[in-house]
Amino acid sequence: MTAKEIVAGIFCCIGTFFFILGTTGLLRMPDIFSRLHPSTKCDTLGACSVIVGMAVYSGWSWDLLKLIFIACFLLLSSATCGHAIGRSALRRDIPYWRRQDEGAKSGDGA
Amino acid sequence: MKRTVSLLFIAALAALLLYVVANMPPMGDPANPTATHVIPRYLENAEEETHTENVITGIILNYRGYDTMGEVTVIFCALAAVLAVLGRERRGAIEGFVDRSEVVSSTIVRTMVRFMVPFILLFSLYTIFHGESSPGGGFQGGAIIGGSMIVFTTIFGLAESSRRVPQRIRAALEGAAVMGFFLVGALGLLGGGEFLTYAWPKVAPGLQPSLVVWLTILVEVGIGLGGAMVLTSILFAMIREEEIATAS
Repeated sequence: MTAKEIVAGIFCCIGTFFFILGTTGLLRMPDIFSRLHPSTKCDTLGACSVIVGMAVYSGWSWDLLKLIFIACFLLLSSATCGHAIGRSALRRDIPYWRRQDEGAKSGDGA
Repeated sequence: MKRTVSLLFIAALAALLLYVVANMPPMGDPANPTATHVIPRYLENAEEETHTENVITGIILNYRGYDTMGEVTVIFCALAAVLAVLGRERRGAIEGFVDRSEVVSSTIVRTMVRFMVPFILLFSLYTIFHGESSPGGGFQGGAIIGGSMIVFTTIFGLAESSRRVPQRIRAALEGAAVMGFFLVGALGLLGGGEFLTYAWPKVAPGLQPSLVVWLTILVEVGIGLGGAMVLTSILFAMIREEEIATAS
């Protein structure tokens, strides 16, 4: 196992970790706004770490250029998707989640 | 009485079919005839016989050309059925079409879609034209074009979208997949070969390999364009239906 493979493996593991984190957040968070947070942020970070790992593994080649393109489009489209979902949820007046026992006290949020 | 007889008949038929199924070779077993004879035959001879590096393309367009021709005809028939039920969008209706949702899609999304769609189309062309040498092909490329049209229409509306891909262009290209197959098949017949063998033995035998590749790419382009136009037309027909439903 060369140093290159080890570094690539570490980056891929970091990416996978963030994927697991994001998926857990998506499943466990209570409403659409808080679900957007793990699904967009951790997804982007996870996928980009995996791409960095693959870029290290492939070295200087045409694959590197393709990986850079993939990363660019992923960052652009992921951010746009998060924005579009959040905006339309806001416009549709989807209620925010509040903890049941604090609902009466904190009515000033949003 | 009648019901008992038919029940018995069905039970006997089911028993027979289940017996046959039980005797079929187990799924995914490497000792199956498909794995021992069919697959090695394709893998060993496909590149030499079909001149396509991608064996899957060689199989679906060359060995099973008739089958794929039937498939694209089914896609075309699906469009014909949708249009028979929903009807095409009328030109006047599109000109007067206004976006009825009170919220305009955001500037960020509009800018991003305008920026991304050309890249998506470029990628679809890459998928179509490299279908004979790498994963991809006409069906996949056509679906990508159709997907980009769906994104564009969702954001910019039917009027903008149908200005980019006018009805007469779509009407002319919807049959491109079927036409491409029949054209290549007929050219093969004229060239002294057989229908859909991609070979013209009477004309220029030395050109054979590159000729086969070009004819395969021609069929791929036909499938891609035809599939994309079919998807777009179905989308437009469905939008028109919804617009009338909300207007009334």
